[in-house]
Amino acid sequence: MASRAEQALADLEATRRGFTAERVRFWIICAVVLAFYMVSWDLAGVDLHKLATGLPKLGHWLASAWPPKLDEVPLFALRIAETVAMAAIGTTLATLLAIPMAIVASRNITPLPGLYYPARWFLNALRGIDSFVFALLFVAAVGLGPFAGVLGIALHTWGSAAKLFADHVENANLGPFEAVRATGAGRFTAIAYALVPDILPVMLSTTLFWLEFNIRASTVLGVVGAGGIGQELKNSMDLLDFPRLFTIIAMILIVVTLLDQLSSWLRKRLIRP
Amino acid sequence: MIDAVGLTKAFNGRAAIEEVSFAVREGEFVAVLGPSGAGKTTLFRCMTGLAVPDRGTVRIGDDDIAALRGRARRRVAVVFQQFNLVSRLSAFENVLAGRLGHVQAWRGWLRRFERADRLLALECLDRVGLLAQAMQRADTLSGGQQQRVAIARAMAQRPSLIVADEPVASLDPAAGAGVLELLQGIARADGVGVVCSLHQVQLARAYADRIVGLSHGRIVIDAPVQRFDQPAFERLYGATASLSTH
Repeated sequence: MASRAEQALADLEATRRGFTAERVRFWIICAVVLAFYMVSWDLAGVDLHKLATGLPKLGHWLASAWPPKLDEVPLFALRIAETVAMAAIGTTLATLLAIPMAIVASRNITPLPGLYYPARWFLNALRGIDSFVFALLFVAAVGLGPFAGVLGIALHTWGSAAKLFADHVENANLGPFEAVRATGAGRFTAIAYALVPDILPVMLSTTLFWLEFNIRASTVLGVVGAGGIGQELKNSMDLLDFPRLFTIIAMILIVVTLLDQLSSWLRKRLIRP
Repeated sequence: MIDAVGLTKAFNGRAAIEEVSFAVREGEFVAVLGPSGAGKTTLFRCMTGLAVPDRGTVRIGDDDIAALRGRARRRVAVVFQQFNLVSRLSAFENVLAGRLGHVQAWRGWLRRFERADRLLALECLDRVGLLAQAMQRADTLSGGQQQRVAIARAMAQRPSLIVADEPVASLDPAAGAGVLELLQGIARADGVGVVCSLHQVQLARAYADRIVGLSHGRIVIDAPVQRFDQPAFERLYGATASLSTH
């Protein structure tokens, strides 16, 4: 018995020893990864010296930010409300648009198989362009203001949400769907009857996730002129008005935290396992 | 010698097991039978140190199992219903996991084991008849093979006690019989105590030395396998069932 095991161990060690192709490949991969990181380090302009001299500056600004500037708080509150509204309208619009797209882009239930790949490409294109970039384009098209932000958020989220929904539909158990189809129900009746109850919790959960994400993302949309608190953020930075800047950042933190809490509470209420 | 004395454990005021006492001698194969919800899982969690009983102790030699921490836990090996192998590692590496309670931690992190440990792992694999599959990924093996790898892992641990929680519930009859034969052989040959919960009475009667029957959290039978008769069966599962059909 021991001898058989010993033989097996000897065989095992023999294959591991020596100059094998596997070993060569391993070291080539190591070299490539190392080279990748060296080039990236260089391209990214990582400069620890700059960080060391810059950090004290940041500390100085932080120190000069006290006391906060409270006289403009009503204006900031309005701008933050604008930001939240942008995210809410944009996400809702995106979700509504995502549902029909998700049906077309789900290989297993699509009524138009010919459109499956075009739909997927379209969604990938939407997903590939950030809402920030969309907002930049729409500011030029529809003018300064939160509406450009709404459109930017809606387009990017449309692509992301529809792809996620479609992925969930493709992974869903189709047994109940086929059973309902077998009763003579039409395709959309069967989707509504058998798939929606299964997928709705996931869809609600992802929508809330996108809402949270978009509220955070839209705080900077003002930087490109697409409305909301980002505009004030940029103004304060340009004027080196640190009390104002840090008041805004503090308000953003408070609002985002509260909304995250609200969202996770809502998620627990809406979604029962 | 493993000694469970007066084990009691309650959840939300409801006792899952009450005053459970029994012993397992070295080399003895004890089957634990009982209907679902009788407290087998709670008993096994107490015996493996995964749960602490409210009252009573499980002693292994002179030590209380609930107080065993870290490497000392290697003295009790566990075989699970769902095998719980690391699916992306080979059968060999899964068996080597049984040595983790014996070797320095860094060897586990790098999966670099000494020759003696590797040899022992291969010997354990040979004993369960899977030496040829040593380098195969665990998730490519059949259910019966995976459970045999799990038993090899338990053996590599060099335990004093092997606790097997329904090890054949997910296997077909032939594979299940093979697994129980192995556990019986380990008990006999290595002098390891084996405690094994089962749902099939005929398997217990075929492989175990003793049957412990658990019902509503209490021991209602503790008898050598030859004395497990129709009255004992009825006490355990209720009068409507019949031993002969099992």
